[in-house]
Amino acid sequence: MKQTLISAVLLIMAVVLPLLVGENPYLIGILISVLMMATLSSAWNIVGGYAGQYSFGHAAYFGAGAYTTMIMLSVFNTNPLIGMAAGIAVACLIALITGSIVFRLRGHYFALASIAVAEIVRLTVLNLGFTGGAQGILLTDVAFFGLDMNSKNPFYYGMLFSLALTLAITAYIHKSKTGYYLQAIREDQDAAASLGINLSFYKNKALMISAALTSVVGSIYAVYIRFIDTTAVLDLRMSIEIILTAIIGGVGTLWGPVLGAVLLVPLAEALRSNLLGSVMFKYGIVSETSPVGIFLKDGLAHAHVLVYGIITVLCILYLPKGILGFFRRGK
Amino acid sequence: MAPPSLTRIHPMLFLQSLISGLLTGGVYALAGIGMSLVFGVMNVSNFAHGDLMMLGMYMAYFAFTLLQIDPYLSLVLIMPVAFVFGYLLEKILINRVIHHPHQNQILLTIGLGLIMSNSALLAFTSDPRILTTTYSSSSFNILQDISVSIPLLLSFLITCGITAVLYLFLARSRTGMALRATSQNREAAQLMGINVSRMSAIAFGIGTALAATAGALIAPTYYIHPLAGHSFLLKSFTICVLGGLGSVIGATVGGLIIGVVEAMSSTYLSSDWKDVVVFALFLAVLLFRPQGLFGKKGGQ
Repeated sequence: MKQTLISAVLLIMAVVLPLLVGENPYLIGILISVLMMATLSSAWNIVGGYAGQYSFGHAAYFGAGAYTTMIMLSVFNTNPLIGMAAGIAVACLIALITGSIVFRLRGHYFALASIAVAEIVRLTVLNLGFTGGAQGILLTDVAFFGLDMNSKNPFYYGMLFSLALTLAITAYIHKSKTGYYLQAIREDQDAAASLGINLSFYKNKALMISAALTSVVGSIYAVYIRFIDTTAVLDLRMSIEIILTAIIGGVGTLWGPVLGAVLLVPLAEALRSNLLGSVMFKYGIVSETSPVGIFLKDGLAHAHVLVYGIITVLCILYLPKGILGFFRRGK
Repeated sequence: MAPPSLTRIHPMLFLQSLISGLLTGGVYALAGIGMSLVFGVMNVSNFAHGDLMMLGMYMAYFAFTLLQIDPYLSLVLIMPVAFVFGYLLEKILINRVIHHPHQNQILLTIGLGLIMSNSALLAFTSDPRILTTTYSSSSFNILQDISVSIPLLLSFLITCGITAVLYLFLARSRTGMALRATSQNREAAQLMGINVSRMSAIAFGIGTALAATAGALIAPTYYIHPLAGHSFLLKSFTICVLGGLGSVIGATVGGLIIGVVEAMSSTYLSSDWKDVVVFALFLAVLLFRPQGLFGKKGGQ
């Protein structure tokens, strides 16, 4: 009951937030990024957190949604929703193939195989002609039920809807028979199998749901940015960022991935836009031309991945269950 | 795409790809052995392995440009430095997750790899560098028109030497035997009085030294870039899985196979698709023989 109430309050806050922010495209952009990472990470959490199958190749499903939608839009000029549906189909197909190969394997092998599949998808897209190769796909104009697609608000609500959907599905799975089966598989595969749980069926089910939701985010992202290439949507770094967000927030918890995204995305943005440097320049703490100033301006802006690395190492060593997991243990 | 016609499979072309594949494969094997040793002794997948290779490339580059030391000679310097670096890395960080679930070990080493590659990006910028020695592009011909690149041949010979020494070390020396015992059964080795945590640090040190050596050996024929480790990481994993995770002989054979497969797919398909062929081979191994060519146990 308390959970539902908190969720409702958060949802209402999220719905009215763009009205409070007003016409500030930069802030709305950051909010969209937060919602996007929260959704991706929550979708990963279904297979990674609940079933305990750490997929290191979720960029493949994100890319499947983004690329299928962009190709459908630029070649067949379809409605974005049809592109999104086609993207889900492609992502589920990749998930099914991946699952049938990798779910027979455990531990190291599973992680390695999921990377190999994602790399095959990335290299294939890079080398094929109709995917635009290294140049990517650029979309000049898009129509969607007469909405103003140059405004960022439709995408904010689109991402918010997919996050709400993902969280609702996660909450439902958590309470359902499937959820108990998945957690049994996570805790002890052999014990779960001996109790009659069909391991590969439930693992594949979790991966398919996760892949479909990930691909929906990919579709929205592609129409939002209107430009995609393999570095932006299919890189291994994307898969790793999705996992890190979940780890830092708390794997296997409903709100952990959301918390991770709320903390990490603005941090990455602050580093990228050199917030620390600008503040220090403004108050004259560091001169813009001094070596430290040059480092802050040119170096640190490119180093947000370095900070990700440091946070990961610290998190694994000191908070292996994430922030939410840490507080839950304290209870 | 039409299948390659039989006329294209010219014996000389085939031999040429085979030889250059084997020579490159030797260096890959060295990186693979390092990763396999770490896996065998510690049961940890080291995702920072490619970035350790990248550091080896930069060490060779700076030894050459700043100290005017030949890249092959600089190995005498690079190997001990890398060993100490790896030993300390294990003692201070990796050691603490050795009993954690696999995914935590993977994420920790991914984090370490990100720190290394992005520190390199900050320190050395993203401009690719090229290590040009007087013999970088020199080659000689055998059997009329098969050319053998001199830097690749030198790298291959050094690799053979190092691998032979490593085999002897593992087979004969006390520490080598203790390493193998730890790899076979950690608990039993501990009961026999072997200091397994010291063995882990030694294994990681050797693994790091081999990765850095492979990086230094490949530096004269490759672009040196902070993010170069990425593709070598995936290659090293493929080699380890192909040979059987933890098997040193397997990694040697696996490295040579991957080198040849790469060269053949460049010649007969296209160089764009060579990595796809390597990963497809990787999945095929997982599907049909998950324990690898020389593996001991089933795919656990």
